Amino acid sequence: MLAPALAAAGVLVLLPVVNTLWLSLHHVILYRPKSRPFVGLENYAAVLADPVFWESLGNSLVWVVGAVSLQFVLGFTTALLLNRSFAWRGIARALVVVPWALPSVIIGLIWTWMLDFNLGVLNNIGVKLGLLSASVPWLAQSETAMASVILAVMWQGFPFFAVTLLAGLQSIPAELYEAASIDGAGTLGKFIHITLPGLAGVIATSLLLRMIWVANSLDLILVMTGGGPGTATQTLPLHAFLTAWSGGNYGHGSALAVFLTILLLGVVITYLLRSREG
Amino acid sequence: MKRLRLLLGTELPVGLILAFALLPWIWMMLSSIRPDAELTQSPIALWPHQLTLAHHIELLNRTSFAENLRDSLIVATGAVSLGLGLALPAAYAFSRFRFRGRNYLRTQFLVINMFPVVMLILPLFVLMRDFGLLDTYVALISGHATFTLPFAIWLLTSYIDGIPPELDQAAMIDGATRLQALRLVVQPLAMPGIVAVGIYLFIASWNEYLFALMLAGRNVRTVTVALQLFIGENQIQWGLLMAGGSLVALPATILFLFAQRRLVGGLTGGAVKG
Amino acid sequence: MKRRTLLAGSAAALAATPLARPHAQRAVTIRWWYHFDDPKATPDELVAAFEKENPSIKIQAENIPWGGGGDYDNRLYTSIIAGKGPDTAMVKFNNLARLIEMDALVALDKWIDAWPARTDISADLWRLHTAPDGKRYYMPLQYVVLYLYVRLDLLAKQNLKTPTNFDEFLTAAKALTGGEQWGFGMRGGSGGHDSWMPFVFGTGAKPIKGGFVSAEAMAQNRYFIDLYRTHKVCPPSAPTDSFLQIVNNLKASRTAMAVHHISTANDMHATFGDAITAVPVPRGPMGGPNGGFATFGDGSTAVFSASKNQEAAWKWISWLSTGPNNVLYNKSAGQMTVTTSGAANWTLHQKRFVDATVQSLPMASVLPNVPQTADFTRVVWPQTTQKALLGQVPPDDMMRTFEKLFFG
Repeated sequence: MLAPALAAAGVLVLLPVVNTLWLSLHHVILYRPKSRPFVGLENYAAVLADPVFWESLGNSLVWVVGAVSLQFVLGFTTALLLNRSFAWRGIARALVVVPWALPSVIIGLIWTWMLDFNLGVLNNIGVKLGLLSASVPWLAQSETAMASVILAVMWQGFPFFAVTLLAGLQSIPAELYEAASIDGAGTLGKFIHITLPGLAGVIATSLLLRMIWVANSLDLILVMTGGGPGTATQTLPLHAFLTAWSGGNYGHGSALAVFLTILLLGVVITYLLRSREG
Repeated sequence: MKRLRLLLGTELPVGLILAFALLPWIWMMLSSIRPDAELTQSPIALWPHQLTLAHHIELLNRTSFAENLRDSLIVATGAVSLGLGLALPAAYAFSRFRFRGRNYLRTQFLVINMFPVVMLILPLFVLMRDFGLLDTYVALISGHATFTLPFAIWLLTSYIDGIPPELDQAAMIDGATRLQALRLVVQPLAMPGIVAVGIYLFIASWNEYLFALMLAGRNVRTVTVALQLFIGENQIQWGLLMAGGSLVALPATILFLFAQRRLVGGLTGGAVKG
Repeated sequence: MKRRTLLAGSAAALAATPLARPHAQRAVTIRWWYHFDDPKATPDELVAAFEKENPSIKIQAENIPWGGGGDYDNRLYTSIIAGKGPDTAMVKFNNLARLIEMDALVALDKWIDAWPARTDISADLWRLHTAPDGKRYYMPLQYVVLYLYVRLDLLAKQNLKTPTNFDEFLTAAKALTGGEQWGFGMRGGSGGHDSWMPFVFGTGAKPIKGGFVSAEAMAQNRYFIDLYRTHKVCPPSAPTDSFLQIVNNLKASRTAMAVHHISTANDMHATFGDAITAVPVPRGPMGGPNGGFATFGDGSTAVFSASKNQEAAWKWISWLSTGPNNVLYNKSAGQMTVTTSGAANWTLHQKRFVDATVQSLPMASVLPNVPQTADFTRVVWPQTTQKALLGQVPPDDMMRTFEKLFFG
């Protein structure tokens, strides 16, 4: 049963992963295909010695924690609401996936435009409603740039949690809720004692998966700020991407990628140990 | 009274969340039917004074966008079929069987996803070239499997974990094989999860750009690549871009409109495993 | 995007050619990669015209997404390395060094020297298209030169003339700043290096070894950063403003001056009519057209060494750079023709913008052609400049970073 999936994963993924590891141990410049000397751990040493790496790491932490937690809270709330019965539930469920269904380049452009200093509708409304004293150059200031990209990715990602958790909620038998009502439990009681335990597995898995996805994602930031202003929104995967894609330095970029993977692996292993999977 | 409670406690919050989800998209759609002159006014007027379908007409007539939508549809559908087809049995195995290296293998699948996609591009390009698969649907569908498969396996495993194994065992006592137990008992009950994963796979494949750029391009050109063509070196075709963007979100939304009806709870009795 | 088979091509060639040349009996297919800003524009008309004149050659044109340059370049390099590259493609100067390192280019000198239309391309353009090793790998196809847009009506209100040197520029920018308007639409986002170079190298410094850290360059760079930080003649969003923002701000009268080039001229004219014009960028006190620096925006074609039909590829690209063909080409590309004959009767843009472009050509120059150039334009310049604009690094350090990147 496992065999087909394993075979596919083997060819399609393991091979390139091994290739990445190989690249990270060599000095590989894309446009110098004839010169690929083995350099051992030199790329890794260079990464650790580079202050940009540490800055990107810090940005990544803020990015992941901010984005995932906001997506989760909004997504969970949405799932709970869409689990209830009301007339237009079907349409509501379908429409909620719209942000998720858009390509990152479109989302980046929409939000960049809405946050634009001169023509952005959010600045316009903010000033009109008195929430802002003046237009704010959201993406041009270090302090507000990160918050802006997190807002955009929260918009993009909360439907994932909404859909995933909604499916999980559907698996909890109705009888449990009925029994609890008979026993006199209120809404909060049912939530804590039935919903949460019933969803625990799906919550944990979706959080883990989402964290990995967000940690690795760079599309949105690339389109909205390119990592700027300066390096204020440059996360680790974006740094790795630019090193390879723009600088042509696939050796250093691969080393950065491996670091990112090791860090994520650390989190995953911690999660697995704690959940004590039998 | 109950009607009011429903309205305030459920429908209003849902409405607010939908507003948050849809207003940026509506703003974008609105921009795609406004003439260029209005788009550069500052402060920008909230309500358009003039509407025009010129951008959409241009998009469909003078670019190959319709073909791109078709290409994206084929790739995404293929990715979903391949992903679910491979992941469902694998997830069942991970959930039901206890074997040595089970946790290790599960983690392996996850590790695969932690590698930034850009690192997978070069070796995959060479692989596809060696097999003569460059610029084919197969290249993209299998390329997308690299990141859809691990997620699908993990998500489906946790959904299947929530279905008591006693149910399959009961079926097997009645004479069913493992495969039949999966198909006839587990699959219907796991349908909400399968739908959720299916949508996830569709969207992930639909929105993917890097693979589509590098592994295909001429015969197979997806919408993400096509949209990028509207962002030039010296200009951005704003109207076309927004028109294209307004069309791009439609397939996934319509798909989910039909699929979400299957997001209904199963017929499990008894306690649910966490 | 239909693939024409070799068979169909040969049949057509046999049927259509009354004067078949001995070496052109079988049709060859040339793969050509390009990118147009306007996705509605296609080279179909050009391809048809060329194939009519050269029945034994079929052109398979492929539109590759630009993606800020990174997408186009990576696709090109990866394909070439994997042996799947095109025969010829549109290329930029910042690809030159990398392509040479990959041994991917064919020197075109032998063909250029025998090409009758070579005299229709100015000496300045040939100068710019010669590689550091003295050979010519690139054919000029299109170009722009960066100039300065100025709102004549706003200047007139302040009784000012169009600025020619940096002192006049600062005066004008200050005078035009007030309320919701700023004098200069500075571009700190990606692509902004093009409009920064005229400032930094405008008083005599050159982008050569030691040039970035010369006294003139450092002083001019401080002047540039001060425009934003000290004199505040630029919008607060300047550090991350990119193409879309500076154009929209100009059109919305949020800014009064901005550096760009002829591809936006028609748009500007449509918005403002004669109230907007273009002038060469400000120059140093030496004055005159040779005392300044105008950034040259290049667009060329090259033939790749892996091509099995190099001569046919040369025919296509030289045809594209010939008089009327080049004019037709640039109608789709929106840029300037490289031919002198074409420029004389150029009707695609208003005359004053063409004049500003042509007048700037003698002082047009480019960045050093080294492998790091692409990285500079896409990542290092925006990131470092943004930090300087926000006060996170001193301007002088900015220049030292660039010197180190280019020359070690």
